[in-house]
Amino acid sequence: MLLRASGLTQNRAYDLNSVTGAVQDDGGVAHGRRLVEFAEAVLGEDEKTLTRARAALRAGIGPAGLADAAGVVGLFNAIDRVADATGIPLEAEKAEASADFRAALDFDRFGVAARR
Amino acid sequence: MSEFYASAPIEIGEDLAAAHARAWDRIGRAGSWWDGGQRVAIAAETRHALSCALCRRRKEALSPGPIEGKHDSLGALPDTVVEVIHRVRTDPARLSKRWFRGVIVAGFSEEQYVETVSIVAHVVAIDTMARGLGLDLLPLPLPERGKPSQYRPRGAKPGVAWVRWLEPVDLTEQEAGIYPAGRPTANIMKAMSLVPDEVKSFFDIVSHQYQGPLEMRDFSREYRAISHAQIELLAARVSVLNQCLY
Repeated sequence: MLLRASGLTQNRAYDLNSVTGAVQDDGGVAHGRRLVEFAEAVLGEDEKTLTRARAALRAGIGPAGLADAAGVVGLFNAIDRVADATGIPLEAEKAEASADFRAALDFDRFGVAARR
Repeated sequence: MSEFYASAPIEIGEDLAAAHARAWDRIGRAGSWWDGGQRVAIAAETRHALSCALCRRRKEALSPGPIEGKHDSLGALPDTVVEVIHRVRTDPARLSKRWFRGVIVAGFSEEQYVETVSIVAHVVAIDTMARGLGLDLLPLPLPERGKPSQYRPRGAKPGVAWVRWLEPVDLTEQEAGIYPAGRPTANIMKAMSLVPDEVKSFFDIVSHQYQGPLEMRDFSREYRAISHAQIELLAARVSVLNQCLY
């Protein structure tokens, strides 16, 4: 949701399909494809893929950007666990604001309502 | 200056290194419901879960429930604690309220559960970042002596989560400051409020490894080496990979 908010504020249209990994270009976000591939590699198990993705991202956004990117991937890998393990739902206002793209991208199948 | 990451081949911001040092120090000390030795054991088991054969079989199965067996554990913690750590670490998207209730019936208090989830989350945040950067994992802290405080917030009530939590209006002086002022409190902040010290500790990491509550919504300037859009693309992709709607 903050990705869309960022785009609206910057008057940029980001392709939200990027978050599903289905988009082969940057989706309107600078170095978007490399960022997505890096996130996928960090959560994956193939060391060679991770080494390649890390080097490609570093070449694109520099060492400070890579450090920040790794931090964000790590943090959300943790936040997702807190959310799932405590059974929190999306807040009502966020659910309303994101209803259209959740439906379009079929994200509701991940929701807490599906995990009774 | 923090000595954390001092010899890392890539520069880690001093504020983030210091936040990780604080988190590691807290893991080694007595918490609210676990002592220092138990907390470090939970951190070690979090890492060990990645090599558990039962967890791998469950992860590959259509449904984890019917897959029976015993976790490969380090042997320092009771089976129920190991089950929680391994499931939260390796297959969080398929946790269910029924599973949670079963854990509580088996003898876990809600407070112990929340503190355990928090320790797992601390370790995952720090270890995943290290993996991303190709760094060795930090050695776990040495446990310190001390007894858990057993602090239980008076105002904690059942809400929409599986665990009881604190609404902002129910905070007492002892819990003051665990939520940011001036904006609605997100469910993710309330999620661990049954153990207020864990909220403070985890969101200390959040502020330095991601962004603070004000920075994340201030699109008028950038606070990191990557932009808001780049940060949120990463965050969203990770959550989709983890099948987490929140």
